[in-house]
Amino acid sequence: MNIRIGHLYPDLLNLYGDRGNIRCMMKRLSWRGIDAELVEYKLNDKVNFNDCDIFLLGGGSDREQKLVCKELSSIKKDFKKYVEDMGVVIAICGGYQLLGAYYQMDDESVEGLELVDLYTVQGEGRLIGNITIKSDLFDMPITGFENHGGRTTLGEGVTPLGKVVNGFGNDGNSGYEGVIYKNVIGTYLHGPLLPKNPQVCDYILAKSLSKKYGKDIILDPLDDSAEDRANNYSQALN
Amino acid sequence: MSLRKTLAILLSKIINRISILLGKQGVTFCGKLALKLCPDILRDLSSQVREGIFVTCGTNGKTTTNNMLNSFLKSEGKKTVCNMTGSNMLNGVVAAFVLSASLGGKLDADYAVIEIDEASTLRVFPHFKPDYMLLTNLFRDQLDRYGEIDITIDILLRALELCPDCKIIANADDVLCASLAKKSGHDFITFGINEPCKANPASTSEIREGAFCQFCGERLDYDFYHFSQLGSYHCPKCGYKRPLINYNATDISLKNGLSFKVVGSDNNERALSSNYRGFYNIYNILAAFSAASETGLELKNIDAILKSFKPENGRMESFKIGECNVLLNLAKNPAGFNQNISAVMEDDSPKDLVVVINDNAQDGKDISWLWDVDFERFSGANVKSIIVSGLRAYDMELRFKYSDIKAKAVINIEDGIKELLTGHTNNLYVLVNYTALYNTRKWLKSMED
Repeated sequence: MNIRIGHLYPDLLNLYGDRGNIRCMMKRLSWRGIDAELVEYKLNDKVNFNDCDIFLLGGGSDREQKLVCKELSSIKKDFKKYVEDMGVVIAICGGYQLLGAYYQMDDESVEGLELVDLYTVQGEGRLIGNITIKSDLFDMPITGFENHGGRTTLGEGVTPLGKVVNGFGNDGNSGYEGVIYKNVIGTYLHGPLLPKNPQVCDYILAKSLSKKYGKDIILDPLDDSAEDRANNYSQALN
Repeated sequence: MSLRKTLAILLSKIINRISILLGKQGVTFCGKLALKLCPDILRDLSSQVREGIFVTCGTNGKTTTNNMLNSFLKSEGKKTVCNMTGSNMLNGVVAAFVLSASLGGKLDADYAVIEIDEASTLRVFPHFKPDYMLLTNLFRDQLDRYGEIDITIDILLRALELCPDCKIIANADDVLCASLAKKSGHDFITFGINEPCKANPASTSEIREGAFCQFCGERLDYDFYHFSQLGSYHCPKCGYKRPLINYNATDISLKNGLSFKVVGSDNNERALSSNYRGFYNIYNILAAFSAASETGLELKNIDAILKSFKPENGRMESFKIGECNVLLNLAKNPAGFNQNISAVMEDDSPKDLVVVINDNAQDGKDISWLWDVDFERFSGANVKSIIVSGLRAYDMELRFKYSDIKAKAVINIEDGIKELLTGHTNNLYVLVNYTALYNTRKWLKSMED
């Protein structure tokens, strides 16, 4: 078996250790004997959504996000089709904001990909700190770090990724964090997200393999004792 | 002269003395107290500096560069004020001036040589207007404190507006520094390394800042990189390019310390050699040399300084504990860490390694940057065993696990180092981030005695 991971615009959206998310997916595939391949799409590269089984959209600074925004309008339609066909996407921080309709900043508005029904508005001050959330999908709490000026609001009936245990989450008020829509996960958590939250990583990998090979695929268990230690430690932080 | 001023100076000196006796860091508290008692004290004392005020800013190399510049000026017989310990926020800067002043409130100094935390420039410059700003480099660092690197640039630009006559001495190879100097509209001169350096092949997978033109947003073309984003760049759209280098380092050798030639834009040549290690230190020496040259001093004594330099403050500082040679170095962000890894790899003999990662406020509470460091390179560095330590030891253990490198987590730093001091290679590298530095250094020093 083999999985191709597409990293969208790593030259612009790479603010919070997103290479760690890529590395985590690649290693957890190869440790199970599954071939993993990385495709990096830089600004102005043509993206063919049939070429990859997972796409990662990371976080960049507000300025960099504005630069990416122009590029996004050209891939919007194909990306939408990929998502509706149950394609797997993991979007972190700035990438999460770009999943929605728009990101309204003080001086201007960045148009989003409109893949998921959500929108983001810049608020007073940044929401910064360690964060732990609980998702019904996983026994292990999901833990990491958040740092965002935007406040994200989910549309009616859109499912958040989890409930905030400690930290701010989507907007600092709702008590919810992130989004899950079909096989798209969006979240403000970096740290990076996947190494300390191996259940989230394996969920993404299993979804992509199952879709690609047309059957339910159960991944072999790995020794996650180091991951558990780091997860437990991070949970205890505020 | 006011009583408050005398009281501020007197109390600061007493507190500093007590702190030293107790083996504690009391410098920032002195500054805080002095400013509280006499809010005008920094403005007053700095106005007494006779010839010029240098400030050093930039992500990496501030302390090394600033202290070196200070030594250069002192070697020419100049009297200086310098925050040598690296306390570089407003209170630390105040303390440096107050502790150098007489009880009568007089400061006897030709130059002030002050490193300032970038975010603190806006708080310091209302008190004095520097004559020169030395800009070493801008890398991602402590993102949760600064928000983003764009914010740091914005702060520096606003701070520079407060001192329109300040001349900038900028790293030409760093597009972020050079663009900032140009954007500010200030007079500036530059230092850099004009040609690719054979002795230092650049890593290809590093995270690089500022890949896009700061003026028009187009992707920059690079002819080559030295490391991180430092290199020769130009914008294919608006034509912005690396500025002419006023102080250029050539003929670089990394064997037995560092040696190179500085060629000035006036074609004057000066050979420099030092017992520093690590390619990045070329930039630090070059920066200090460029700044010192701007004073017009002859700099006839700096060769001796560079050759006899004994690193302190945990920057490539060596200790001998029993049979074991220990080299301590600060590494607090991806660019610094990648350069540290290069420096470790310059030594090809067998070695052991301790990596200490804390996440206190001064370190940055967000440790995701660990994944932007090319730790994978340690697998080719003849490293026999690795211990990870500090508050975020488990994150570091995980980082090594995903590089297929075996590392053991020992949370307590002293216990971690002790495990590798005996019965191993007797060649131990200890890489620590910011808040782990002071205590680790103190402990290593105590073990030496």
